[in-house]
Amino acid sequence: MGGFQDSEAVRLIEEVLSVAEVTTIIKEVLDDERLRDIWVRGEVANFKCHSSGHCYFSLSEQRGGKTYAIDCIMWRTDASTLNFTPASGMDVIGFGYVDHYPPQGRTQFYIRTMRQAGEGEKHLLVERWKRELAAEGLFALERKRLLPEFPVRVGVVTSPTGAVIEDIKNVIRRRFPVEIILSPTSVQGDTAHREIAAAIRRLDGLVDVIIVARGGGSFEDLFPFNYPEVIRAVAASPCPVVSAIGHEVDVTLCDLAADVRAPTPSAAAELVVKDRTILRDELKGFYQLLTRGIMERLDLATREVEELRLHLHPRRLQRRVSERRQELEDFVESIHRTIERRLERYRLLLGQLSTAMEAANPVAPLDRGYCLAMKGGKILRSARDLKEKEDVTLKMKDGAADVRVEKVTYEQDV
Amino acid sequence: MSKTYEEMIKELREIVRKIDDNSTTLDESITLYEQGTELLKACENVLSQAELKITALNRE
Repeated sequence: MGGFQDSEAVRLIEEVLSVAEVTTIIKEVLDDERLRDIWVRGEVANFKCHSSGHCYFSLSEQRGGKTYAIDCIMWRTDASTLNFTPASGMDVIGFGYVDHYPPQGRTQFYIRTMRQAGEGEKHLLVERWKRELAAEGLFALERKRLLPEFPVRVGVVTSPTGAVIEDIKNVIRRRFPVEIILSPTSVQGDTAHREIAAAIRRLDGLVDVIIVARGGGSFEDLFPFNYPEVIRAVAASPCPVVSAIGHEVDVTLCDLAADVRAPTPSAAAELVVKDRTILRDELKGFYQLLTRGIMERLDLATREVEELRLHLHPRRLQRRVSERRQELEDFVESIHRTIERRLERYRLLLGQLSTAMEAANPVAPLDRGYCLAMKGGKILRSARDLKEKEDVTLKMKDGAADVRVEKVTYEQDV
Repeated sequence: MSKTYEEMIKELREIVRKIDDNSTTLDESITLYEQGTELLKACENVLSQAELKITALNRE
């Protein structure tokens, strides 16, 4: 009997899943679009905020005599952005996703942000408008324009009474007084959004930049600044728009559509006009740059002149002259040497010629004791030139004598 | 007032750039320096003479 039970148990065990396997299946099942990015309304129960800052509670609902509850968790970073402190019993709308936490086997709603219900309908409306307007590209970063550096006229869309316009005036007066064109509007109430949009449009072409501002208030108070009419007016404005609606934690669609978002109206005014003292410092900086620039330019000119003067210095010139003179002397020297060599050659040649001529000189033999017989200035070379009884001249080394030919004897025929 | 503050600052930047450029002649530089100081004076005037003026549009 016992054996049968054992084999039955083995058969069952083969169909048993591990906890991990079931957990995996649960997570897979929960990975459903219907459980992501959802708004859930319910009553807060068992609200606990740990010392870590993370909040744990549940959202519950009574319906048809039954109680429904979902475990919820809100991380510290998300909880810190809430503009109210949740408490048990509060009617809220949470935004987030559902997931399973395996270590504790809990399926929980992970809440990213939460609002008090009652405001709920309007929040949902804002979310819808946000999606629609975003789809039209009205919040796109590439639409954002730079603010003008030095606006001459600043348009302000806000309530003509109250602290906001005063704050803006004070900041602008203190920093850089310009012309403010106030386009008055009511900033809360059922028709405020139409007034705001009209007030923005009224400034078309009159100003260089627009500040749309409102002081702090509840979500309900700031609600007009979420209307598509306002967003479209901001987007259509020909000049850049700075938005400062409520406090920094309140973000309206107007803030998202504006070219620049400022945390407060005063901050918006600071963004729009520069501080005169800083501008004065900038002018001083320009003055220094100009002065330094011209000084450096003058220095450069002086250095150029100095360099030129150095080039024109007399000693430099003397050196140049003496260099040229040396060159000239070298040249003359070389000409002399050439001529000398040539003369030497001529002298040699002349000596040779002179010796040759000496050899041919008819008078030369006289030195050796010979005499020349001449007649009528002509040398007599042959006995046949002589005639008896004729006078001839005998020329000796140291004198001459006129003699008479007595007899001529020919020794041979020539 | 013919030029806006913005235009004058732009011009000043250009003048400073030209003076720093060594290819600018000395005569030109001196002229630029004079223009620059004139512009600085004009800018200073804009800053000291600026006055807050408030106009309110009528609501329709």
